[in-house]
Amino acid sequence: MEPDVSIETSCMIRIAVLPIGDVPSTLLRDYHSMLLRHCTIPLSTISSFYTEHQKSPFAHQPWETGSLRFKFVLGGAPPSPWEDFQPHRKILGVIGICHCPSSPDLDLVIDQFNAAWRGYSSVLVQRCFAFSPGDSQLEDTKKRENLVLFPPSDRSAQELHLQTMMQDISASLLMEFEKWVLQAESAGTILKTPLDSQATLSSEEVIKAKKRRLARAQKTIGDYCLLAGSPVDANAHYSTALELARLTADYFWYAGALEGSVCALLVDRMGQKDIAIEDEVRYRYNSVIVHYRKSFIQENAQRVSPLTFELEATLKLARFLCRRELAKEVAELLTSAADGAKSLIDASDKLILFVEIARLFGTLGYQRKAAFFSRQVAQLYLQQENRFAAISAMQVLAMTTKAYRVQSRTSISKQSLSDETETGHVDSGKMHHQSVVSLFESQWSTLQMVVLREILLSAVRAGDPLAAWSAAARLLRSYYPLITPAGQNGLARALTNSAERLPSGTRCADPALPFIRLYSFPLHPSQMDIVKRNPAREDWWAGSAPSGPFIYTPFSKGESNDNSKQELIWIVGEPVQVFVELANPCGFDLSVDSIYLSVQSGNFDAFPLSVDLPPNSSQVITLSGIPTSIGPVVIRGCTVHCFGVITEHRFKDVDNLLLGAAQGLVLSDPFRCCGSPRLRSVSVPSISVIPPLPLLVSHVVGGDGAIILYEGEIRDVWINLANAGTVPIEQVHISLSGKNQDSVISIAYENLKSALPLKPGAEVTIPVTLKGWRLFLGESDTAAGKNAFGSMGRTLKDGSSPSLLIHYAGPLGDAQDIETNKSSVPPGRRLIVPLQICVLQGLSFVKARLLSMEIPAHVGESPSSLANMDSKPFGEAVGYSKIDRLVKIDPFRGSWGLRFLELELSNPTGVVFDISVSVQLEKSGNEDNLSVDCAAEYGYPKTRIDRDHFARVLIPLEHFKLPFLDGSIFSKDLQSDGSTAGRNSNFSERNTKAELNASIKNLISRIKVQWQSGRNCSGELNCKDAIQAALQSSVMDVLLPDPLTFGFRLARNGSENAAKLDLPKESDTSIQHIASKNSVIAHDMTPFEVLVRNNTKETIKMNLSVTCRDVAGANSIEGAKATVIWAGVLSGITMEVPPLEETKHGFSLYFLVPGEYTLVAAAVIDDANDVLRARAKSESSDEPIFCRGPPFHVHVNGTA
Amino acid sequence: MTSTACFIIVSRNDIPIYEAEVGSAAKREDAAQLHQFVLHAALDIVQDLAWTTSAMFLKAIDRFNDLVVSVYVTAGHTRFMLLHDSRNEDGIKSFFQEVHELYIKILLNPLYLPGSRITSSHFDTKVRALARKYL
Repeated sequence: MEPDVSIETSCMIRIAVLPIGDVPSTLLRDYHSMLLRHCTIPLSTISSFYTEHQKSPFAHQPWETGSLRFKFVLGGAPPSPWEDFQPHRKILGVIGICHCPSSPDLDLVIDQFNAAWRGYSSVLVQRCFAFSPGDSQLEDTKKRENLVLFPPSDRSAQELHLQTMMQDISASLLMEFEKWVLQAESAGTILKTPLDSQATLSSEEVIKAKKRRLARAQKTIGDYCLLAGSPVDANAHYSTALELARLTADYFWYAGALEGSVCALLVDRMGQKDIAIEDEVRYRYNSVIVHYRKSFIQENAQRVSPLTFELEATLKLARFLCRRELAKEVAELLTSAADGAKSLIDASDKLILFVEIARLFGTLGYQRKAAFFSRQVAQLYLQQENRFAAISAMQVLAMTTKAYRVQSRTSISKQSLSDETETGHVDSGKMHHQSVVSLFESQWSTLQMVVLREILLSAVRAGDPLAAWSAAARLLRSYYPLITPAGQNGLARALTNSAERLPSGTRCADPALPFIRLYSFPLHPSQMDIVKRNPAREDWWAGSAPSGPFIYTPFSKGESNDNSKQELIWIVGEPVQVFVELANPCGFDLSVDSIYLSVQSGNFDAFPLSVDLPPNSSQVITLSGIPTSIGPVVIRGCTVHCFGVITEHRFKDVDNLLLGAAQGLVLSDPFRCCGSPRLRSVSVPSISVIPPLPLLVSHVVGGDGAIILYEGEIRDVWINLANAGTVPIEQVHISLSGKNQDSVISIAYENLKSALPLKPGAEVTIPVTLKGWRLFLGESDTAAGKNAFGSMGRTLKDGSSPSLLIHYAGPLGDAQDIETNKSSVPPGRRLIVPLQICVLQGLSFVKARLLSMEIPAHVGESPSSLANMDSKPFGEAVGYSKIDRLVKIDPFRGSWGLRFLELELSNPTGVVFDISVSVQLEKSGNEDNLSVDCAAEYGYPKTRIDRDHFARVLIPLEHFKLPFLDGSIFSKDLQSDGSTAGRNSNFSERNTKAELNASIKNLISRIKVQWQSGRNCSGELNCKDAIQAALQSSVMDVLLPDPLTFGFRLARNGSENAAKLDLPKESDTSIQHIASKNSVIAHDMTPFEVLVRNNTKETIKMNLSVTCRDVAGANSIEGAKATVIWAGVLSGITMEVPPLEETKHGFSLYFLVPGEYTLVAAAVIDDANDVLRARAKSESSDEPIFCRGPPFHVHVNGTA
Repeated sequence: MTSTACFIIVSRNDIPIYEAEVGSAAKREDAAQLHQFVLHAALDIVQDLAWTTSAMFLKAIDRFNDLVVSVYVTAGHTRFMLLHDSRNEDGIKSFFQEVHELYIKILLNPLYLPGSRITSSHFDTKVRALARKYL
């Protein structure tokens, strides 16, 4: 059988093209292709070369329209036994091709050429074309037969030359044909085919053979007429031959003549293909096929068979009919041709048959059928067990890969690939079911595996390691679930073996293992957050980053361009990380020599990594790299160096695979079978790289560990900020976020401000003052436990610590730049410095109580000042240093109604605390004290609380009394009383309460309980609430003075002023001493003075009375057993005291019995106003207001 | 029962969703592969032929050597393809019709995604029983 047969094959003159001498194969192909342009030489062009020697037998030669056709056989062909039957199988001409530069000796060339063409017995014309001769060869004018030198020139000139030469050859051939036909007509030629019996013929057969000879001669003459391009002559001869052959039952030659007549018909009706001709051709060819079949002779079936002609005829008809509309008919013809393959003896015939069938199916558009027969071809090649056959098998199989959908990436054209990536970029994530299905269309895994295995086998045999590697990679990657572990190991070995033969650094388009999918793109760590900058605003960072606690804010929605795709910004020169997950679902250890991100855009330096994956495992790894220049970054996948070859693994492929697995279209999900969790669809965000930004890094001086504070502790922390970027920082702003923001008392923002611009590499340290916040009940419970570290971890975890948000930015860039494109303002950044504060429970407050203390005063000569003492704080007391100030009590004034705040504290911690209480005094409004610094603090000695102990701290509340009783404190009260006099004071009470609370707060804020532990641990105890609770009930008594203050003194003449100076010095001596000095002697008339001070701003009229009691408490002035005799008025003294003034009233007492006496003054206020009533808490307005002074002691010396 | 038979259901996306060697002959791997190759190639013929007739059963449409391919196309263009070496056309038609009913039951399963592989062992058992009965 011959390849590439068609009906027209019968009219083609076969010419062998032989390389003469040494011709490089590329040049040979080039010259051959030049020849191929001259397959058809029109008869009209050769008339100049043609000379009619005798009368042409081709009477009807169409000189105007006809042409000669050539078939160039490169390298020649062995002579066929069927040459007599079909002259187009003969090599009728030989063209030698010589490349002059490589074969300089033209004589040698001619010798070689002659030797070559003499091998072909049937040759009629021979020429040797010598291309690109040298100058010496051109000058060599020696005439050589058949050698044609092509002068060196450009290609078109050479082609013209070649055309002329071909026309010459055509004319020569035509003349030879005429000669042959004339000879054949005259002399009887004996034409035999291998079908004819070789045995001696019987007499009957001899007669039959004679008749047949004529028919055969006519058929052969017809063939030559066809070759000579004269279909009408051919037809005439064929008709004769058909008649004769039918008569002699020479079916084989009959079929041959019929074939020739169809060819003549087609050549005659060149170009016009109407239905009538088609039907005619179909009819005649079916007859041809039938007659070839009929000519099958059983006896020599072993040796030779006309089957090949039958099959060829079938293929010719199929090729003639091969159109989409006639697909069914053609498919039937081809199927029947394929059936014939079984009976073919020669393997190469079978090969040619299958090749032709595959080609025809391919032309028909039946790709799967074509692939099927191509695979049959490949199997026949593989049976031949030699390298060239294996190469052919590999190439044929490579053609089938498209139909079986196992094609290598390299075979998919670049264009379609780029289209794929384009579209793949647009539709991200969710794919429609149908489109997913379409990805896996025609996935016949069994067939695919077989084909790939055959490709692998043939590639190994053909010695093509790259193809073998690629096939093994595809096989392993796509069908690992169908391959046994032993098979998987075998494939892995095949990969390694192939790689050994490949030069290192070979790339292959088909990825092998592992499977790689995108795991996540980590956002910028909080240290490097990028914030969009709004140059129009002072607070440029506002509204750009979701800084709030909510993931979704409706306000930010509108601003962001509603691109569902995540966007990432990378910065030139700052390393970035991408997490990918690798899976090795196979049963062998996979070692990935290097893996790095494959970036298409080329502005990214990826850092390779090497990984070892145990069998059936998956692993998440971090791939990193540095963006190198501005622009978008497109990450397609990873470049992997594994099994000795570099491959690119695209994320999209694996995503598609996983989608298919989710839809049940693919056998297995490689990640799930490795125990990795469910599919998470991560799409590659659009990444853009921007120019360098400043980068601020922070650390807390003294270690980045947690800052451990006791409750209320105040401490300074230094935070070191350094610019690690390459751009100076020009703007900076610090704010706070998170819980417990009030624990940051102050930030030395100015330090940072003054350091601007912060050059690259520069550092600045800013102190931050922190205060430990109060632990709440739940917290303190756990914190109270011994495990301080446990609570520390918890505090850190639940994020109760505040964070410093530092927004900073580099220079704005050129002003022009901003104007031209507004969006090009380089963004700022945000640094979050979490202050890892761990608050431990410190001193704990147990309770607060208000205690009152009463110390009676002594009556002396001192001019006891009745004005409130706190308004005259010891400024006059020259000799006192403040340290010494304890609670000092003026013995002549006493401290009636002195109140202490008692704080009970416990120390559950392991350290010792020192408590110091300080009371800050407000500047009072009194004019006479202006010169004195009233805001002085009272310091009290420290109280020490040992670990696990309780302690009580007393805070005297003596200095809080207001200088005078004012209506202002009751102002609301007054108003309401004035307007709604008759009503109950419910409403007013509320107002009073508000006023009260304000004043209590004022009071409390002045009390500070500070503690210290160790050298540098100090803080303030927060017990305001407790104090408030304790003070709530009796704050009036603490704050407000009585309307009247009473005092007694001995009225001795002349010593008043001196005593006044002396007295303070003495007051810290014992009371006894004072008492003795200012003693009162019995049996002596002692003058006393009672002093009444009005603390209000209005004149008070009153009815004063003085009583004296002895130790037993009995009235010693009145009654039966009176021991004191008096002079002057003691009761019912009507007095009028002007506002803030004192009034004296003198009287004298005569003590009959020595001992301790007590003087008490009391007054009933007449016409009391509302202020007084409120102070006295009187219920009704007509109730008398009664004021009573504190008792004064009088020590009476003497004998009874 | 035929000695060689290979039954395949091909989804409308040309993906085989069910495969069964139902012949009584000893199973050989390369033969099974050849069966699949033949059936795969026959899809080209079916693709044209299915639109030329309203019948679901397309009879024998293709052959390779002595193996014949009979095809039944459902309304949803799912193709039942049987590769066999016998000429029992009536039996094959009955076989296809019964398998069609089974296939519809599979389709009615709300958990079955049309176009995905049929993994039901019940379906497999039934199909093999039908093959024994009709082929």
